[in-house]
Amino acid sequence: MKFVCRKCETFMLFEKLESPAEASLGITFECPECGARFSMVTNPGETSMVQALGVKLGGRTAPAGPMELTRETLKEPNVDEAVTAQGSGKSASGGAGGGSCPFSSMISGMQQPARQLEWSREALERMEKVPSFVKPMLQTSVEAYAKKNGITLITPAVMEASKHAETDMAWAPEAEQRLDNIPSFVRPMARKEIERMARDRGLTTVTTALMDEAKEKFMSMGI
Amino acid sequence: MAEERDLKQVLSRIKYTDDAKVQEQIVDQLLQVKTRMGRIKRKILVMSGKGGVGKSMVTVNLALAFARVGHTVGLLDIDLNGPCVPAMLGLKGQRFTLTGDGALPPVGPLGIKVASMEFLLQPDAPVRWKGPMELSPVWLGLQEMSVIREFLADIAWGELDYLFTDLPPGAAADKPPVMAGYLPELDGAVIVTIPSEVATQVVKKSISYARDVGIKVLGLIENMSGTVCQRCGAEEPLFSGDAERIARDMDVPFLGRVPFDRALGGAADRGEPLLDPDQPSVRHFAQIAERLTQALEFKKMMASLL
Repeated sequence: MKFVCRKCETFMLFEKLESPAEASLGITFECPECGARFSMVTNPGETSMVQALGVKLGGRTAPAGPMELTRETLKEPNVDEAVTAQGSGKSASGGAGGGSCPFSSMISGMQQPARQLEWSREALERMEKVPSFVKPMLQTSVEAYAKKNGITLITPAVMEASKHAETDMAWAPEAEQRLDNIPSFVRPMARKEIERMARDRGLTTVTTALMDEAKEKFMSMGI
Repeated sequence: MAEERDLKQVLSRIKYTDDAKVQEQIVDQLLQVKTRMGRIKRKILVMSGKGGVGKSMVTVNLALAFARVGHTVGLLDIDLNGPCVPAMLGLKGQRFTLTGDGALPPVGPLGIKVASMEFLLQPDAPVRWKGPMELSPVWLGLQEMSVIREFLADIAWGELDYLFTDLPPGAAADKPPVMAGYLPELDGAVIVTIPSEVATQVVKKSISYARDVGIKVLGLIENMSGTVCQRCGAEEPLFSGDAERIARDMDVPFLGRVPFDRALGGAADRGEPLLDPDQPSVRHFAQIAERLTQALEFKKMMASLL
């Protein structure tokens, strides 16, 4: 997050960080052109939310200690203060006094170029319901399916179809027979791996030629 | 006074800089996880759909089974609110040793290195955070995610052959995607269930959920699969379900069964895990560990057997 001085058309700069009340922060910004200043004040909930990211407001001036966030956020930590005083070998970002904004990643994220594929409003709504960590993976998988099938608009129906795309794979009887060489309890994993290879090559049937290729691939991996 | 222009136009003319270095800080955090985890050969989650299926007990004994055959093993307990691994391994009351290279984990039987929230808590105290727990479950989720990140980044495990992570129970909890997000090179998850009909219905959700979030399911373990009569030694079922059938239906390797064993339970309660390789339960876990090794190396198997 940044603040813009509309009069001077420039970003305002971080000036200082204060704590006007317990668990509340006051962050003052100044326009480098006209000197206009204002302070943004956070409530305890907002302060905690940012701190829970393990990010230091205004940039780090010293490396974080081991388990620093956990220890500092516990009400009654059971740690030996003598040993916590030791330094850490970890890397850290930001220099002394550097930085003005704890929320900058949001704006830079908004400036990313738009993706080529289009998502319908319903598909986006459906995607919103997915946990944030899953989104990138799901998006990649749906878009890969769409690209492969020449689809340019992703709808809930396309999302659904991409889920089931993995199950429609036929097996030639000879290929199936060769799969029986794998011990039964790991056979399902082997089957999935070979089917994944088949899909990557645009095949709809697993053949003995593909089995040869799979065998060669795994041998060349030197595993 | 200059005329106020459209914000979009203004932004197109001025250069954006990340002077708070938030992104760099977050990249640093992730690099620290990557560096630390890069020294560990195999990273395996242990999860379950339902609570009370003996997941922590299975994790502990699986870790012991791998350590017994000479592997270097770590055990990460991220059941933040109900950590019980330290008690099972006789490490209750221990703490991390904080050093410049990270937090040194206490070492349990057979050299297993253990990290748990328990080592940061006062005796018998629950986890109490300073943040607005009563106000915001969103904050709590974020906080726990950062705590897990610190467990991955800051524990000085050193070189390990295996790291087992005991997850809190829940088929659709937020922890599996957090782990998958932090550990793209995760080997996969072992799912623990009991053969009751109710548990086997939930375990299907766990398997689907793990796959949905990109975690490979390495296999299914059926715990409490029966009980052995103390007088005659005959084995009797405790429940009527069958986890092997679920494994078959869901295309998941079935890693094995562990019958309910009072000796095993008692040993965990005392913090003195069973180490004698001739104990029946120890043998069960040794077989499961062997199958898990094969499941982990199935590509090698494919190279030679296909």
